Amino acid sequence: MRASLVAHDDRGISAHVIDAGMSPAERLDVYRNTFASVLTTALRLSYPAVHRLVGLEFFEGAARIFIQASPPRSACLDDYGEGFAEFLSDFEPAASLAYLPDVARLEWAVTRVLHASDVEPLDPRHLAALAEAERERVSFAPHPSLSLLRVDHPADLIWRAVLQEDDDALSAIDPGARPAWLLVQRLATGVEVRRMSESAWRFTAALFAGRPLAAALDEAPDTEASALLADHLAAGRFIDFGLNETSA
Amino acid sequence: MDSHAAPLRTRDSIPAQAGVGLRFRHHQEVLEARPVAAWFEVHTENYVGGGGAPAVLDAIRRDYPISLHGTGLSLGSAEGLDPAHLARVREVVERVEPGLVSEHLSFSVAGGNYLADLLPLALTEEALEIVCRNVARVQDHLKRRILVENPSTYLQFRHSTIPEWEFLARLARRTGCGILCDVNNIYVSSCNHGWPASAYLAALPAEAVGEIHLAGHTVRRIDGARTLRIDDHGSPVAPEVWALYTEALARFGPVPTLIEWDTDVPPMAVLLEEAAHAFVLIEEAKIGNCRALAA
Repeated sequence: MRASLVAHDDRGISAHVIDAGMSPAERLDVYRNTFASVLTTALRLSYPAVHRLVGLEFFEGAARIFIQASPPRSACLDDYGEGFAEFLSDFEPAASLAYLPDVARLEWAVTRVLHASDVEPLDPRHLAALAEAERERVSFAPHPSLSLLRVDHPADLIWRAVLQEDDDALSAIDPGARPAWLLVQRLATGVEVRRMSESAWRFTAALFAGRPLAAALDEAPDTEASALLADHLAAGRFIDFGLNETSA
Repeated sequence: MDSHAAPLRTRDSIPAQAGVGLRFRHHQEVLEARPVAAWFEVHTENYVGGGGAPAVLDAIRRDYPISLHGTGLSLGSAEGLDPAHLARVREVVERVEPGLVSEHLSFSVAGGNYLADLLPLALTEEALEIVCRNVARVQDHLKRRILVENPSTYLQFRHSTIPEWEFLARLARRTGCGILCDVNNIYVSSCNHGWPASAYLAALPAEAVGEIHLAGHTVRRIDGARTLRIDDHGSPVAPEVWALYTEALARFGPVPTLIEWDTDVPPMAVLLEEAAHAFVLIEEAKIGNCRALAA
């Protein structure tokens, strides 16, 4: 039935289906329709801004091709849709919307952050026991409800204006190539997408990758590191810390 | 079953009353208005992980009994259960501590892909072995009994040898699992395949039936003359299904009953009205049982 649903190939199954009053293909159509519509809906829920930017008909057409090429691997449909941004960047009919894959990448990050595990953040007081000399060797584990993203277009501005249905804001955006460094985080009130400076983003990305503090500072020497680190700690962006052998 | 006993009203167990399938659009309303509902059932897969939805369910769980209804374990998969999904389900079960946990007599995973529907099984001795093994594994892993629901089906396999009702009865006997009797699904499948719906009910072991589902379905016309009933959960329960439900209650006694509505979900008031109708029939069934005992 997998071939029947995913690839619309009934050759293997038809002979095994009772055709009383209705052909196997007609019967299999019921399941095919559910498969396509459930997964299209799942993509629409994960990519609401992409959906609104391209319209329902275009979205459904693109979704159908994506679903056939990348059927889900997990029974949790919140997990479905990884790779849709890459698919869109290779999707010829969407080629004129250069910013679309970036909006999709942002929406995927938002979806992941939205459903990430609940984990207690690190209590900054636990760091107090560290000796001054140990500080540069400390590294952190990031909270799962966070994501760092670099985009080549102002995907965050487009995303926000589209979801707020703010046409004035949307028409004021220059959608041309201009990179932005984003922090996507889940707050009690919802998901926030925040812009960072490139150096603050690089410092944060190094920390999120588990690099020791000194190495993270090397990534972005001109950044206000101590203020930024204090902000990350106060906002609960880490869940744990450890001491590395070296500061590199 | 003692029909005089008051329904259990503890925080944990699901009472033999009519509950409602809780969907996202009603989260806020339930949190704020606290509607008078006997219990709620949610789809397990919608509450995996963290964030907003599980937090809302935590809050609702404090005031209402909750049942978890899964759609992704794929109990009929010959390739066995996906351990990652089983672990996710266990996490939700441990977090929610539901009154009931249920799944379907179907498969939804093949070749490592989730096929996003409850697909029909060829009901053979071999399939019975597979489903028994998978159900036993789920019950071991969750350390509790589960209920298994009869699906709506739109096709039958030539090599099926066991009627669905007998398959369910044998599954329950062999694994100790309960049966979630979806009366709408029995009606839909019976119309689609020419099965005797009343005989289906009569063949189920009454003591194993732990829950009943009710929902709406549509009649799809194909070429004008032929019809196929589709279980789309998008309308009120059909009169024929209410009639079959009355038969089910007469046979199984008062059983927790759920109103499911998943397509074009209406206001909560509409769902509660459907639940109220089921509640009346449950109460009438209790009176009927008392009369039968007194006679």
